[in-house]
Amino acid sequence: MFLEEWRDAAYNCFSSGHKFCREVCPVMQVTRNESWSPTAFHANVVAMEKGELEVSDVAADYVNCTGCGACELRCPNSLFTGDFYRFRTRTVDLVKAMRGLAVSEGVHQPGWQRWNRLTDQNSHEPVLDGVSQERVRDWADGLDLPVGGETILFVDCEAAFHRTSLPRAVARMLNLAGYTFGLMNEQWCCGGPAAEMGYGEQAQRFARHNLDDWRAHGVRRVLVLDPHDYITFTEDYPRYFGEEFDIEVVLVIELLASMVREGVLTPHVPVERSVTYHDPCRLNKRKGIWQEPRELLRSIPGLDFRDVDRVTQWSSCSGAGGGLAIEKPELTAKISAARVDKALELGVDTLVTACPWAERPLSEVGTIGVVDLHELLAESLGVGEP
Amino acid sequence: MTAVALSDPVVGELRRILGEPYVLTGKADRLNRARVPAPFPVHRWAERMPDVVVMPASTEEVAEVVALANRLRIPVVPRDGGTGLTDGAVPLRGGILLDVKRINQIKEIDLVNRTCTVGTGINALKLNEVLAAHDLFYPDDPASYPCSLVGGRIGTSGWSLIGSRYGHTRDLVLSFDHVLPTGKVIHVGDGIGGKITKSSSGYQLKHLFMGHQGTLGVATEATLKLFPKPEAEFSPFWAFEDYDSAYRAVGALARAGVATFAAAVLFDEWKVDYLRRDDEAYIPQPSSVKALVCAALYGYDDEVRAGGRRLMRIARDLGARYLGDEISQGDWAARHDRYATPLHGRTRAGQVVPMSWHCEDASITYANLPAVRLAWHEIAAELRRTSDVFDDWGMFAYTNGSTGADYLTEIDIGIWERRLDDASWAAWVKAKRDLAAVALRHGGSISACHGSCREGEVDLVPEELGGGYDIMLAVKRELDPNNIMNPGKYLLDRAYS
Repeated sequence: MFLEEWRDAAYNCFSSGHKFCREVCPVMQVTRNESWSPTAFHANVVAMEKGELEVSDVAADYVNCTGCGACELRCPNSLFTGDFYRFRTRTVDLVKAMRGLAVSEGVHQPGWQRWNRLTDQNSHEPVLDGVSQERVRDWADGLDLPVGGETILFVDCEAAFHRTSLPRAVARMLNLAGYTFGLMNEQWCCGGPAAEMGYGEQAQRFARHNLDDWRAHGVRRVLVLDPHDYITFTEDYPRYFGEEFDIEVVLVIELLASMVREGVLTPHVPVERSVTYHDPCRLNKRKGIWQEPRELLRSIPGLDFRDVDRVTQWSSCSGAGGGLAIEKPELTAKISAARVDKALELGVDTLVTACPWAERPLSEVGTIGVVDLHELLAESLGVGEP
Repeated sequence: MTAVALSDPVVGELRRILGEPYVLTGKADRLNRARVPAPFPVHRWAERMPDVVVMPASTEEVAEVVALANRLRIPVVPRDGGTGLTDGAVPLRGGILLDVKRINQIKEIDLVNRTCTVGTGINALKLNEVLAAHDLFYPDDPASYPCSLVGGRIGTSGWSLIGSRYGHTRDLVLSFDHVLPTGKVIHVGDGIGGKITKSSSGYQLKHLFMGHQGTLGVATEATLKLFPKPEAEFSPFWAFEDYDSAYRAVGALARAGVATFAAAVLFDEWKVDYLRRDDEAYIPQPSSVKALVCAALYGYDDEVRAGGRRLMRIARDLGARYLGDEISQGDWAARHDRYATPLHGRTRAGQVVPMSWHCEDASITYANLPAVRLAWHEIAAELRRTSDVFDDWGMFAYTNGSTGADYLTEIDIGIWERRLDDASWAAWVKAKRDLAAVALRHGGSISACHGSCREGEVDLVPEELGGGYDIMLAVKRELDPNNIMNPGKYLLDRAYS
């Protein structure tokens, strides 16, 4: 079944074999290990079909991917024939599928197994000690947000428990704009991380819970501030549920950009920082969303914004995605350090990003200030954290 | 024959030298370093597996590994990007695969002398991202620019698309540290090497240690020549109604003597047909478009404008139709990405099938281009008559230099690798030999850029080099007394019989 689904795609890469993907791959850049290149991830499928390899031979290799999608953008097969033949290179999906195959055959990575077991127990990822269902809305204490309504704000595990100032900033800005929204009735993890690590059954169970909760409480629209959730809700959920999934998914950054564009919100408090922007991979590389964050940054008075174009940033990543930080934190740290070094070369004091998952490893490098775009905007709107 | 199955003590010794994580014995690790993009029967993939993969981080580690291999008579195959098309980085007899990609540091950027010194595992595009901050660039620009690495460029003596302006790898690499097959480390360049670009001291050894496909050792750290990052680029594309007109035009453009001239490329009618299959730039072109020529000029804005006007006039006088700025800029910018896509493959019935790209790359004088072209297409047609495994993807001719004397002459053959059985492989090997023979018969060289050690073509290398091939054997025997460096390549076993 796996081989049937992926054989043609694997041969399509194998036949090309040019490895344009290699130098943009964040893992390859810091490890230089060809076994972990996107090309190898495809070639292994060919070897499996030829009986040369088993999934147990390669499962650990497939840990080495952040799911950033740079390889797909750089693939000569996709660049010129993707639209023509309706046959894009889909390395990210292949990696997920191979991880899923490994789990289904009982080949586990210890860190991922533990992480997903704890997520299953607590209905949220164990981003820090004490994560529990009872505390998922603690971040909103004192903001007087209603529960339920047609539009709800979905807050990912990292932001809900660890990066709580981020959702607070988002809520204050939406309130300032007079935008009506509530919190989710019983929010569980989106299930995306489990899907990325190969625990597909768990991922779908979590997705089912969330969709049922939305439908039971009349939710029509879900606002997301986390690029990872955005991928899960716009790609995984429609695949799981087909036409049953009729929820509108709105990325908060796009909503805020339209509010600033229309004059509903006007940043006016000067922010005296020199910044560059780290494109979250799942926005820039996987969703093509790179304009709105720049629009917002350029709307903030006082900001010295030194931009690096989105294509150059195909090579960048925080290293936090795809479960890499759980199983190989040392690689995440190297990838983050390389990203921060590039920012420092620009002579800026602050690295702005828009992904709660990127912010922890980038901050831990310790050599540059890391600020979330939403929080920076809230500051300039005069509704920053007091 | 030096093939051995590696014993645990050898792996243990390698781990002592390099550390546990940098000695790989997994089958996937080895399979993924047993391939290059050049087509090869998939069912024979495992024949080319090394016994162990090592990933050294320094010249010293490379030297220690090679010395160990020499002492124990174990084959060593150097591998860098693994993007070459003549199997240089593919082991034929197992042994140790020496992957140098970790040696990729930028050691120095010398702004005064306009050089940089790098580990040979670095990619030129990545290097240029760093050099751009200094308004400099390293112009070694093969089709594989986004993925090939400096060490492989040295090992193959690579060819650069814009070599007519800036020179090729041999001109751009000034000197390098080189680990000989015994493990001894030497520094190779003109005379004393270093940053010297011209010396008459002693034998000119730099060329000897470039293009040997890893049979004479491994380059680990190289000093490269840098240029000002060009302020302007002009890359006109022109259409012609027949090959002969395009051929006349490319010759005139290359001979014009414009100082900013970096390249001219001729696309023949097979190539245009191929591009019409799926390329949005060419599908809407009228059917009267049968051949194309492009040129590229690099330099300061004022000099590029002046040179560009001259080339535009020359082309127009020879019946060219300018394809417009959009196609010109787009196609030149996309030249690396367009060099082969598997789904361009077609069976004779027109079905889309994923094919691997094989590119023959002879050097042919301008005068002989038309004759070689016809003879090569006939060989490709014969292959296609016998099997759906093969497809003629047309020909390019690229200027090798600024005077227009000779051209990298490329025929691209699509090969349906998944269906490449023993019979079709044998047909392909024969075809490669025939293609090489055509090049030699017309006073050409078998390879302008890849090297010529693949099955088929390699049989004719002694004929091409004549007495020089005996020198190759003598050098190989002297420098690699135990035949451990990339054994089996270039028929060099003959040195030991």
